Amino acid sequence: MISREICSRVLQAAVATGADYAEIFAEHTTNHAVSMIANRVESINDTVIAGAAVRVYKGLRSVMASTVDTSESGLIACAQKAAEALGQGSAQIDIVLRERLFGDIHPVKIVPSSVENARKVEILKEGYFAAKEYHEGITQVSGNLADVDHNILIANTEGIYTQDRQIRTRIAISAVADLGSGTQTGSCSPGRRMGLEVFDSEICARDVGIHAAKQAITMAGAGYCPAGVMPVAIGNGFGGVIFHEACGHGLEASSVAYGQSVFAGKLGQQIANPKVTAIDDGTIPNAWGSINIDDEGAPAQKNVLIEKGILKSYMIDKFNGRRMGMASTGNSRRQSFAYTPTSRMTNTYIAEGEDNNDDIIASMEYGLYAKEMGGGSVNPLNGEFNFAVNEGYMVRNGKICEPVRGASLVGKGSQVIMDIDMVGKNMAMGQGMCGSSSGSVPTNVGQPMIRVSSITVGGR
Amino acid sequence: MDFNGFKQAVIAKCAELGIAEYELYYEVGGSTEVGVFMHEVNEFTSSLDGGVCFRCIVDGKMGYASTQALSAEEAAAVVVRAMDNAKTLEAEDMVFLGEGGQEYEPLELNTYDLPTTEELIAATVKTQETLYTKEAVVDGCQSEGIAQQSKIAIYNSKGLDLSYENNAAGLIAVAVVSNGKEMENSFKIRLGKLDTIDIDELTDKAAAEARRQLGGEVAPTGQYPVLFNPDAMCSLLQVFSGIFSSEAAQKGLSKLAGKEGEKIASDLVTLVDDPFHKENPEPMNFDAEGSPTHRKNVIENGVLNTLLYNLKTAYKAGKKTTGNGSKGSYTAPVGISPYTMYLAGGDMTEEELLKKAGNGVYITDLSGLHAGANPISGDFSLQSAGFMIENGEKSTYVKSFTVAGNFYELLKNVVALADNVTLPRPMGKTTFGAPTVWVDGLSVAGK
Repeated sequence: MISREICSRVLQAAVATGADYAEIFAEHTTNHAVSMIANRVESINDTVIAGAAVRVYKGLRSVMASTVDTSESGLIACAQKAAEALGQGSAQIDIVLRERLFGDIHPVKIVPSSVENARKVEILKEGYFAAKEYHEGITQVSGNLADVDHNILIANTEGIYTQDRQIRTRIAISAVADLGSGTQTGSCSPGRRMGLEVFDSEICARDVGIHAAKQAITMAGAGYCPAGVMPVAIGNGFGGVIFHEACGHGLEASSVAYGQSVFAGKLGQQIANPKVTAIDDGTIPNAWGSINIDDEGAPAQKNVLIEKGILKSYMIDKFNGRRMGMASTGNSRRQSFAYTPTSRMTNTYIAEGEDNNDDIIASMEYGLYAKEMGGGSVNPLNGEFNFAVNEGYMVRNGKICEPVRGASLVGKGSQVIMDIDMVGKNMAMGQGMCGSSSGSVPTNVGQPMIRVSSITVGGR
Repeated sequence: MDFNGFKQAVIAKCAELGIAEYELYYEVGGSTEVGVFMHEVNEFTSSLDGGVCFRCIVDGKMGYASTQALSAEEAAAVVVRAMDNAKTLEAEDMVFLGEGGQEYEPLELNTYDLPTTEELIAATVKTQETLYTKEAVVDGCQSEGIAQQSKIAIYNSKGLDLSYENNAAGLIAVAVVSNGKEMENSFKIRLGKLDTIDIDELTDKAAAEARRQLGGEVAPTGQYPVLFNPDAMCSLLQVFSGIFSSEAAQKGLSKLAGKEGEKIASDLVTLVDDPFHKENPEPMNFDAEGSPTHRKNVIENGVLNTLLYNLKTAYKAGKKTTGNGSKGSYTAPVGISPYTMYLAGGDMTEEELLKKAGNGVYITDLSGLHAGANPISGDFSLQSAGFMIENGEKSTYVKSFTVAGNFYELLKNVVALADNVTLPRPMGKTTFGAPTVWVDGLSVAGK
């Protein structure tokens, strides 16, 4: 993309007013998405994102300037803008850029941009019509097959000059059902950091459609969830969103460095139930949230965040790491060059425990089994969170009973991770797009089935 | 290469490939953001983002392709990609490009020169210093200043050639407060000309809202009268505004399909969409298809007057576009969204409304709207905070409970609206507004 020689000159311009660190992030990304609704291919989104950003630090100050003009003069102008905003001063840093190759731990066999639209439509239709034809109560289906080819280059005054190509593919099917007592929806949207070969191995488009339709039909036949405080068993896979929201965001340096997290200053302390071990791992081959390098050029890592309830590590980017006096953990991420990167999650999950799923359900006299979770949100400062339950069932006398619609869970993160008192053995991941200050990035959430001893269930 | 050069290259490529119907939509936003923490400027961002979306009609289908790289090669490439994408489409709806030579209402833009970087930094630092003068405020407070410049241009083969430029500045205060045991925060934003923003008012509100969250109890479970303040009502309106889109209705994703002219809400409800509202920082006199915009009552005294239309959905319904064609970002296909959508106020003051309600809960915050509200079914179950209402007055602060119901039912169960219509803040391309609204029939889940 941009040569080492040009990068050196741009970095030199960036540090001219006294910065102690400068970095270039350049990007060329192709986004392609085929969408269907009402049984037909409705639209195709086909977008090239291309640009660069120059970031400089001086102590605890950071300045970023971005541009869509990636010619040498455009980059130099961008660097000068950043240098100017940093203020008065002068500096001479010896910049010797050496190319670094990190290798690709996420191999891709079929690059989606090399495949014609017709093949993508074929795969999407397989999932789409599996949902549509599942049941006569399905009133509408929408589907989307999206692929991203994200090429990045990072060069900085520490001498790094490196590139990475991040390809990911995802199918999403949503179904709407009506059995006479109001519309309900179901959805399924698996993805991997892989090319189109994902549909030959990991993901069956047809199963995705059936999953979405089945959920919509189940919920369309369900009554409303009763409200109250009760024990809740949360299913594996996307159920891990509870850790992501209730705890994960509070362990990001973007909150911790500013003292804006209930978990700030608690390294080495018991913050969770001893049953809980939680990990953020960007190195899982071909997983949705995986990276080879983060957006500051640091290699991806496997970080144990919580071990048997004890807080072991935060997720840290370079800039916030300065304020914390800690090194980067390979968690710096940004949606695109136009966003300032910050610490973000990759694949974050609660590790397998020792309880059996059957025992978890059997332990509940009256409660909720949240088989599938929807999204949620949290305020990291006080840890107050909320989640939607996409597919829930009442549990009575240790048995899973009727399905219930419209449930949500609310509580405080610091409390809920203490109240996770049973952890199962069937760890699985679920895919999501996590939105935060540095934009929307792909992240996996995950867990085996868990039990929360007591939580507020919103319903009616 | 600038947009004009890119445009000429696209025109040439279309001539070469024999494409007669096409359009370029250009959107670019420049922004400067300053962040202040611990009395110092700690983050500064100057960014330029945006690009061009090309679309063309091939055999009756509308293909799209977008790019940020404005070069001659990309100009040729987007044309080829859009043609290729068009050939894959199967939707049979008639597609349209806007006609040139239409008449537009004159726009009174409150244009002003953007603040200089120094002015923006000074105002942001002042916001932070003012925050520190407020009661219970502790380290951790952040303030941010933003100056933005946006440009839109639409050019097509049918003679449409429109452009729009607007500037906006704003200040954000994040107050962090502590009572020694727990910490709370609150985020407030004010948009407008920088030197007319009342920094004292902004920081006072942020700190007061953060302070009131300290302590607090969980609301009791039950069904009782619920009053949504303007902030909370706007959150609900925002997440469910899509039900008024004719596109959603035509695709079976809104229950308002076929309900135009019918009563769908309490007599008290009038819902307005106004592209020229004076408090909207981005008034628009043309939409994303170049159609003229106008003010309309979507719901009038409980009757659904009209859904919102663009050219495609209007043709399908045998109606005229309401000028609500919109693009979520420059890369998106043309969809539908409102401009300034607000619930008209009633004639009682908020105090009178509280007195009349007697006992219940007054909601000030709703969280997790993207997850806890389903725009298709209308169901919602949302994390809430606010005050109990006892004997007609706000009493204990309550949090960590949920309010659940269904938006379609809610519209029918509006008991009264206060006269305090406010437009809290723009969300995406739409600014929402509402007064305090009293609704019956909702469920509260807490302790």
